Amino acid sequence: MLSAYYYQLFVIACINVIMAVSLNLVTGCAGQLSLGHAAFMGIGAYTAAIVTLSWDVPFVLALISGSVSAAFFGLLLGLPTLRLRGDYLAIATLGFGEIIRVAILNLEITGGAFGLRGIPKETNLPIAFTSAVAVCLASKRLTKSRFGRALIAIREDEVAARAVGINSTFYKVSAFVISASCAGIAGGLFAHWFRYLNPSSFAFAESIEVLSMVVLGGIGSPEGSVMGALVLTFVPEFLRGLSSFVSQYRMLFYGALLVIMMLIRPQGLVSADASSKGLHLADIGKKGRDEDDDA
Amino acid sequence: MQQIVNGLTLGSAYALIALGYTMVYGVLRLINFAHGEIYMIGAFIGLIVGQSCELPFSLILAIAMAGSSVCGVVLEGIAYRPLRDAPRLAALISAIGMSIFLENLALVIMGPQTRAFLIPFEVKQFRVGTLCVNSFDLLILVTCVVLMIGLYLLVHRTKIGKAMRAVAQDKDTARLMGIDVNHVIRVTFAVGSALAGAAGVLVGMNFNAVDPTMGTMPGLKGFVAAVLGGIGNIPGAVAGGVVLGVAEVMGVALLRSEWRDAIAFAILAIVLLVKPSGILGENLQEKV
Amino acid sequence: MVFTVYRSKRAFHISNLKFATVIPLIFAIILSGCSNSGAPNTSAQVDGGKDPEKLIKIGMVGPLTGDYATYGQSVRNGVELAIEEINGSGGVDGFKLELVAEDSKGDSAEAANAVQKLIDQDKVTAIVGAVLSGETATVAPIAQDAGVVMITPSSTAPGLTDVGEYIFRNVITDDVQAKQMAEYVVMELGLHDLAVLYANNDYGVALKDNFTREAKELGATVSAVESYLDGDQDFRAQLTKIGNTVEALYVGGYYTEAAKIAQQAERQGMKVQILGGDGLYSNLLLELGGDAVEGAIFTAGFYSGDPGDEVQSFVENYTQRYGDEPDMFAANAYDSMKIVAQALDESGNDRASLREKMSGIKDYPGVTGKTSFSDNGEACKEVFILKVENGEFHRAK
Repeated sequence: MLSAYYYQLFVIACINVIMAVSLNLVTGCAGQLSLGHAAFMGIGAYTAAIVTLSWDVPFVLALISGSVSAAFFGLLLGLPTLRLRGDYLAIATLGFGEIIRVAILNLEITGGAFGLRGIPKETNLPIAFTSAVAVCLASKRLTKSRFGRALIAIREDEVAARAVGINSTFYKVSAFVISASCAGIAGGLFAHWFRYLNPSSFAFAESIEVLSMVVLGGIGSPEGSVMGALVLTFVPEFLRGLSSFVSQYRMLFYGALLVIMMLIRPQGLVSADASSKGLHLADIGKKGRDEDDDA
Repeated sequence: MQQIVNGLTLGSAYALIALGYTMVYGVLRLINFAHGEIYMIGAFIGLIVGQSCELPFSLILAIAMAGSSVCGVVLEGIAYRPLRDAPRLAALISAIGMSIFLENLALVIMGPQTRAFLIPFEVKQFRVGTLCVNSFDLLILVTCVVLMIGLYLLVHRTKIGKAMRAVAQDKDTARLMGIDVNHVIRVTFAVGSALAGAAGVLVGMNFNAVDPTMGTMPGLKGFVAAVLGGIGNIPGAVAGGVVLGVAEVMGVALLRSEWRDAIAFAILAIVLLVKPSGILGENLQEKV
Repeated sequence: MVFTVYRSKRAFHISNLKFATVIPLIFAIILSGCSNSGAPNTSAQVDGGKDPEKLIKIGMVGPLTGDYATYGQSVRNGVELAIEEINGSGGVDGFKLELVAEDSKGDSAEAANAVQKLIDQDKVTAIVGAVLSGETATVAPIAQDAGVVMITPSSTAPGLTDVGEYIFRNVITDDVQAKQMAEYVVMELGLHDLAVLYANNDYGVALKDNFTREAKELGATVSAVESYLDGDQDFRAQLTKIGNTVEALYVGGYYTEAAKIAQQAERQGMKVQILGGDGLYSNLLLELGGDAVEGAIFTAGFYSGDPGDEVQSFVENYTQRYGDEPDMFAANAYDSMKIVAQALDESGNDRASLREKMSGIKDYPGVTGKTSFSDNGEACKEVFILKVENGEFHRAK
């Protein structure tokens, strides 16, 4: 029915959707820039793969184990850094991503520089699609619930949110952990599709790609993240055929995309509706943001 | 020990980069992710200038610093000024975007190949006991010290320096006092970028290698150094840079060399956990 | 009451928005995909199109852009040159060859997409690729499952050909070259106090493992083993740790870092014999390393200074066509393509019988020396030992 080429593309698209939607929870809704999302995916991928290779468990269990370990690291990273200002999280996640990459490169259990091979192919389109839909629905419900509103309050003005009794650290860390666990699921799916894992698949460049998807679609908007993920999965593939000239500029394009989106249309392609799903920079922008920090 | 010397030269490069980060953060509360790329651009400017004309080292350095200054100011104007009043997230994303854009622009224009950056004079080796030092190492240390003294004088003895300190303390009040905040910010970027460019030239020559990706790691580590010393704190940046350089080298010497890069980030983790304001910084916790 | 209705209407609207955009998008893609049987691609145009049906497509995948672009482009050039020469002398069994080159950008997932496309959409008969070991490890299972012959001209990680009988390799492997170097150093140069400084990637680790093991078995001491990461610039800490008393330093990595290592070692007053693997073989080693790399010795699978006719005319044609001397990536790719062509000649345009003929190749005389395939698709090739003398490469043995 569907050629192997497109089948694979769709699987990748589903994985990217999970990544984008989960990052959106932290960066979009809570307004905390996380630059190490791919690292959580890597943790999930390697954990799931190691579990499958060592103990031959049902696929679902492997996915869950990947998700749990990613969540654990999310907690480990989130607790100390989310106490502080948002900028620190950005650098901390960047650094975290690097440490994880170096760790994977050097540990024996992850196969080191040689990577992990021979992972059985468990992922297929139905599983990937179901996971993606599940994550999307969960994210939607979360953002519309009290939890989501608290996150948005924190994003808009953390000091004020705390003043009305929102425990900002709790919400931020929770969002971070949830998002990490989703990335872990994406990682497990990734591992069992490509059957080979290699530390370079989960580096900074991949984190930036996911961030670009979120930014393109609209910060804070889960639909937007889905859109961004789909666009940035399919369009480069189609352009591949047109000319290699274009693909040379891919990272260049992502960089420019991030800057231009912030300058011109911060609410992304999918315009948020009135229930303020998106980042209304046009409205809020008038308020200066730095003086409330020097207490 | 030899390793301490290694650490010092490495550390002074980190310190120069950290100074730029710290200055910009002090004034704008923004992490200029693209700072590492300015370092790389400075190295390339130095390389191109050095290759096309026969110039003495000091001139090459000066031109590279000037060029990086200009780049820094332009960067500020394009990516940061329009977002001055926007939520910090937007500025951070823009910063990351610029960093990636610049690095890849260099990759496209200059190509991925590493290029040789020859030192335009004889390098002499000295032996001091069991230590092996060469004249270029000394030059790096001397240049760094000179630049840092210059920066100190600028910040503490000139009018513009006073203005910079005022803006760092309280932007709006400074504006009320008649200070042209935009101008001050531009000068801050110019000076910080010049320092990064200088570091780029020094390191590029020292290792005889310049390539478009050379800015990423030093940029990150420079930032860690700035945080270590207390972000926003100028002597802190220097201290942080030196400590980081020595720690990294000692880490390799005493532990395993595979984990070299992780050391910098481990230090970051420890600092954030234990004393986020850094060695010399004040407590910057948000209070309600 | 009104509020509830409002909320559920809103919820419906939002879900609708999502479905409204996502589902049609998916359908559009499926439709376009099914009707699109051959996406436009970068292919070498066939000259003199006498009979457009009699075409055999050969795929190539590797990093044509990005950090590793030089390697991918070399491979592409090698294959292209070979195809042009083959077509020029009548093609294969009456068929003309057409190259379909895809860019992996150095990313394994991209490579997987590219290979899937080559197999499905372009329907290639064989693939020369991938270039990086990580890529090859990812795409080999795809080619194996689809029953498409794949031959990598540059991936040296161990075990790649074990993926299946359709996977071949035409490059000297790390274990072989590291062992040969260890033998040369200990037995012929007589040096016994050795150290290793390797890049922490699959290439470097394999070199380090095999060199160290072989050297120890031959009775030498490996007093220090240190590592670095690709792109590192500062090796002084590692070099200081290795110390001044070692006689030889085996660099398990690529020329960019090797050049810097040589320079920094010299600056620290170390008087060591620099050794390495084929990663050192590049004119850039000389350019970046200058005097410091004088006397360096390394193993290689290809030597452009080889006076043989085959090699010289290859070097000449390549230089004329692409403006640069061919490196080992290009040479291995060129030979790989010619080997495939020879097998194709005997098998015809059929993937399965091509595979059979490929495995039967013995002593193919290529520009990289004589090549045969072992049972599991590994290449048995000659290893050259080269030395830097007076700023040029010469054969040491």
